[in-house]
Amino acid sequence: MEIRDVPCPFCGCLCDDISVRLDDNRILGVENCCTLGNAKFLSKGRLQHPIMRKNGKWVEVSYEEAIDETARILSDAVRPLLYGWSGTVGEAQVVGVHLGEEIGALIDSTTSVCHNPSILAIQEVGHPGCTLGQVKNRADLVIYWGCNPIEAHPRHMSRYTTYADGYFIDNTVTDRKVIVVDIRRSEGAKVADEFIQIKPGGDYLVLSALRAMVRGRDDVVPDSVAGVKKEQLQRVASLMQKAKFGAVFFGLGITMSRGKYKNVRNAIELVSELNRKTKFTISAMRGHFNVYGFNEVLTWMAGYPFAVDFSRGIAFYNPGETTVIDLLERKEPDACLVIASDPGAHFPKSTIEHMAAIPTVQIDPCVNATTALCQVQIPVAITGIEAAGTAYRMDGVPIRMKKIIETNFPTDQEILERIVTRIREMKRDG
Amino acid sequence: MRCTLSSGRTVPQGSFVEHKLSKGYQKATSILYMHPLDLMDLGIESGDRVRVTSDYGSVILTAEATEDIQTNNAYIALGPYANAITGGYTHATGMPDYKDIAVEIEPTDEPVPTVWELMEIIGGVRYGN
Repeated sequence: MEIRDVPCPFCGCLCDDISVRLDDNRILGVENCCTLGNAKFLSKGRLQHPIMRKNGKWVEVSYEEAIDETARILSDAVRPLLYGWSGTVGEAQVVGVHLGEEIGALIDSTTSVCHNPSILAIQEVGHPGCTLGQVKNRADLVIYWGCNPIEAHPRHMSRYTTYADGYFIDNTVTDRKVIVVDIRRSEGAKVADEFIQIKPGGDYLVLSALRAMVRGRDDVVPDSVAGVKKEQLQRVASLMQKAKFGAVFFGLGITMSRGKYKNVRNAIELVSELNRKTKFTISAMRGHFNVYGFNEVLTWMAGYPFAVDFSRGIAFYNPGETTVIDLLERKEPDACLVIASDPGAHFPKSTIEHMAAIPTVQIDPCVNATTALCQVQIPVAITGIEAAGTAYRMDGVPIRMKKIIETNFPTDQEILERIVTRIREMKRDG
Repeated sequence: MRCTLSSGRTVPQGSFVEHKLSKGYQKATSILYMHPLDLMDLGIESGDRVRVTSDYGSVILTAEATEDIQTNNAYIALGPYANAITGGYTHATGMPDYKDIAVEIEPTDEPVPTVWELMEIIGGVRYGN
């Protein structure tokens, strides 16, 4: 049996043209997918039972016991942290936000360590963005800045930019120019018409130089900016201004490096500048398949897109203080629930050291680095393959994730609802 | 040797995301990409091991030559190895410095730790083998 148009639950591209061949409830093959998505659809090996650490040793336990223990840990906590959320669907995230409000937790997502600075910049100066369909059909100039689509979003170029046919583009190969800006000659840089290699930490300077040039002030730009020659910047500024429709995509190369959200702000302001002369847009290359969705859900429910602290009984948002890394670095949380992410592999050492020192629970189908830091792990259905729901593509377009395989594993949403119910029972019983 | 280290996505790292305890993931996330001239300065070749030390920690990695980066720069896939030398300070933005990390690189014969070993160093308990 073949199921067509399955959305891929890996990255923010959320490619929804995947064909999956099935036999007897098993995936035999996947078509149209990239290497990353392929690996996820065909992944084997998962945690079969809930596990709990007793006397320093892992033992298998029932779902009931694992949920009971999780509810007890979260009820007893004074400063609980609920973290992750980007690898699950909106329906589960909603329950997570309710749980956070109910127990006065701090809730944050992987956004905090990927495009948090992009959101801070957008809150300062706005977001001249568009959907990927607009880029595909109209953009004659595409700029990838501080991102490497070939390795991080492998089908971005073939679905939406360099290799994609566009309604208003006669010949995508000749009519669409690509500029890549990076500190290393990435695979994406090798297929670009123009590659700007910046010295690490130099993005802000180069963005400022381009802004000056677009304003006609080439005279204030020195001969070399962060290792980039002025002639090349002039060439790029000219390409930008001649474009009919330019699209900038940026990644963690500018959000994580020196300057953080000020880099993104400068990039947005360059795009604003360009919009006085032509049409230009800018968008973030979002990572997890539903990292954008959590920002949407938390904004509807609490008014802010990430890092919301419910400990005061109201939604309080102050990035730098209520962001997960800062919270763990201050060693504040006394309990932690991790879901649909793997901070053990992706957080700085000092922060996960604290997670290992407090009662931490993980909801995840697989054994991962975070497993080692936990007291309890509850395995669940794989969202987007064994569980359906709503996810948001990197450009904010909601897409319905499909369930293509039957499973006995409960979904993220079911487990979270059972935890909330159990916490309410414990409160009622005193 | 002083270098500026940045971390980021690579296809091999991404392919092993569901198998973080596998040898494939360990290999994909513990390779330190350096310019061939820098390897020559250190007197080592691709496949040799190096100790990488920042203000926040130290970790053993396998060096590999690439001309895609400039001299005095190094690159590593995101993951537990990169994070063993990443600090938790965020400059009040919530975002740690995952890029532009000042590191010291020196040759070593010590083995590259496993992911479980990295987790045990900070107080974790491995599951299964």
